[in-house]
Amino acid sequence: MLSTIIKKEILDTIISPKFIFTFLLCTVLIILSVITGIGNYASELDEYGAAVALNKKNLESQPNYGTLAGTGSKINKRPEVLSTLVVGVQESVGRVAKVNISFDPGLEDSKHNSNPVYAVFGALDLIFIVKIVLSLFAILFTYDSIAGERERGTLKLALSNPVPRDRLILGKAIGGFISLLTPLVIPMLLGLVILVVHPSVVLAGEEWARIGLIFLLFLFYLSVFFTLGLLVSARSARSSNSLLVLLFIWVTFVTIIPKASIMIAGEIYPIPSIHEVTAEKDAFLQEIQGAAPGRVNKWVADNPSDNTPEWQEKFRIFLEDIQQELTALIDKKNAEIEEAYQAKRRSQQNLAMNISRISPASALMFGAMNLARTGLDEHESFLNSIKSYKPVFTKWVNEKMMRSLNFDGGEQPKPDVSDMPLHTFSSESLNRSLARVIPDYVAMAVMILIFFAAAFVSFLRYDVR
Amino acid sequence: MLEAQNLTKSYTAGKNVLDHVNFQIDREEIFCMFGANGAGKTTTINLFLDFIQPTEGKALIDGITVKDEPLKAKQHVAYVSENVMLYDNFSAYQNIDYFTRLAGRSKLGRKDYAQVLGQVGLDEAQFEMRVRHYSKGMRQKLGIAIAIIKDASNILLDEPTSGLDPEAGAEFLELLSYLKEGGKSIFMSTHDIFRAKIVADRIGFLKEGSLVMMKSREELMNEDLSALYIEYMQSEKSAEKHDISSDDS
Repeated sequence: MLSTIIKKEILDTIISPKFIFTFLLCTVLIILSVITGIGNYASELDEYGAAVALNKKNLESQPNYGTLAGTGSKINKRPEVLSTLVVGVQESVGRVAKVNISFDPGLEDSKHNSNPVYAVFGALDLIFIVKIVLSLFAILFTYDSIAGERERGTLKLALSNPVPRDRLILGKAIGGFISLLTPLVIPMLLGLVILVVHPSVVLAGEEWARIGLIFLLFLFYLSVFFTLGLLVSARSARSSNSLLVLLFIWVTFVTIIPKASIMIAGEIYPIPSIHEVTAEKDAFLQEIQGAAPGRVNKWVADNPSDNTPEWQEKFRIFLEDIQQELTALIDKKNAEIEEAYQAKRRSQQNLAMNISRISPASALMFGAMNLARTGLDEHESFLNSIKSYKPVFTKWVNEKMMRSLNFDGGEQPKPDVSDMPLHTFSSESLNRSLARVIPDYVAMAVMILIFFAAAFVSFLRYDVR
Repeated sequence: MLEAQNLTKSYTAGKNVLDHVNFQIDREEIFCMFGANGAGKTTTINLFLDFIQPTEGKALIDGITVKDEPLKAKQHVAYVSENVMLYDNFSAYQNIDYFTRLAGRSKLGRKDYAQVLGQVGLDEAQFEMRVRHYSKGMRQKLGIAIAIIKDASNILLDEPTSGLDPEAGAEFLELLSYLKEGGKSIFMSTHDIFRAKIVADRIGFLKEGSLVMMKSREELMNEDLSALYIEYMQSEKSAEKHDISSDDS
């Protein structure tokens, strides 16, 4: 009997105009998003390759180590292959970090920065389609699943037969969910085929596992709205009321809670603005820079110049030491300021994220971005790797700069970057990503269980008249 | 056999929407129940289908108490509503297939469906047509076909002739007679005095939840049913309430 109910639910849905519309729209949107994603990824990959080559050329073309120390090295973030499916924050946070001896590095040159129109409309990626379009379809598929059948009278006719109600609701849930998944699964498989055959895209085993986990996240997310739809439908006498209530909840979940959580976290846990932090760093930099000439003058006064090579070597060593000392001081102070700021920011961010997890839309976003390595955590890890690299670069360039000092006023040697320490960054492992995503899976699983159990009990008591 | 024993339903204390109703419908019998809107006709059907629980008394289908064993009782009853509501995107075949399987008769197939659909008067060309294109009469026929194929010994009809044109109405009466001859016990709630007089073996008047009168076909032979209906409906319930226990036996 269960299979009869499931088959009927599937058949009733797939021959309905709403299914045909949903299927066509999802197919067009998903394939379009994958094609757009691949196009963006391919061009970003080209840009990345060009930027890395340009940076190397730029480093080598510097006239001396002094200018190299000031100009610094540009570290480009390699685009993530799964950004083809989940764009994440990478379009907003910048792709390039400039590392020099003076300033604390930060990411710049974001896509939104270079073309603000992207920020206005956002990306059409798979997350957008699932979060907005498919969740609305989940509501569209369920708002009348019980209340509508009651209104049409078919529920009464069905229950005039020896059909246990628990079997009927279970069959409706399974059949309805399979119908809802069809507009996601078939276009997504087509999208994956396009992804696989494209020459720019190389998917390793881990990427496939990540895609599988992202898809599982989609299933959880849609199940939340599906079971919610069943619940509201089983609590409503009229399908129009059910639709209104569901739309209200959808708007709250998808748009209000994520935005409100940031505001609430900001009120509960205020943090200094980035300008205040920068001002604090600049003040210390000026203080150090102001003190440096005095120390040099004092050293010169204590060690009168006889312009012999020995004195020059002694002076060079003094300059190198003071340079290393001062830049180390600046780096240390910047790191302290930054650490204190980041700790506060992280607390605020975690609070906002945890509040917003009440919304399945937030859980979906965080989870999918973590799995695609395009989220806030990946961005932060990359930024931290840059910050860790900065002292290494500074030490190397200071050493080179001081050793290349020519007190006779002759030309300084051109930089040799062959032994320059390189920045390395390892993306997050699958296990680590999975550990981050588990709260999102759990949050949604709890919602699914609560909504389905409530729908189940409501239907057992539902007045079918 | 359908039986109501002191069947009572109230939603608010002290006000019964169905008040100690007693009747018994035997095999090969059509019982038509009259009553104004809200008199309790549909409530009676809902109690037989376990959609609501009786406050007092019980509804029995082939001796099975509906409240105690609803699923078992429902194996023995088929239901046809006023506006037969079906899945509009499904064809007649698909509708009948679904409800036949829900009735537990999953071994039946298209041949059996075609036979029953033909039997109720649907043309073969209409079997594959989506039900949304059906007229009310055609839907009624399909509803009856679904009831027939369930092969239950009892049938509950909720105002089945409402809105039918004369031809469809006449065809419906033929079907009802055919079902009766097949040994069914039929309960029909209706306002249709004209058609009830043709097919009913007994009629009952339900007023404000009470069964105020019951008459057999023989008793009705020399009576003007329309006048009787108006008379009972306009009279005071308490003054006119008959002792009908003897009629039930």
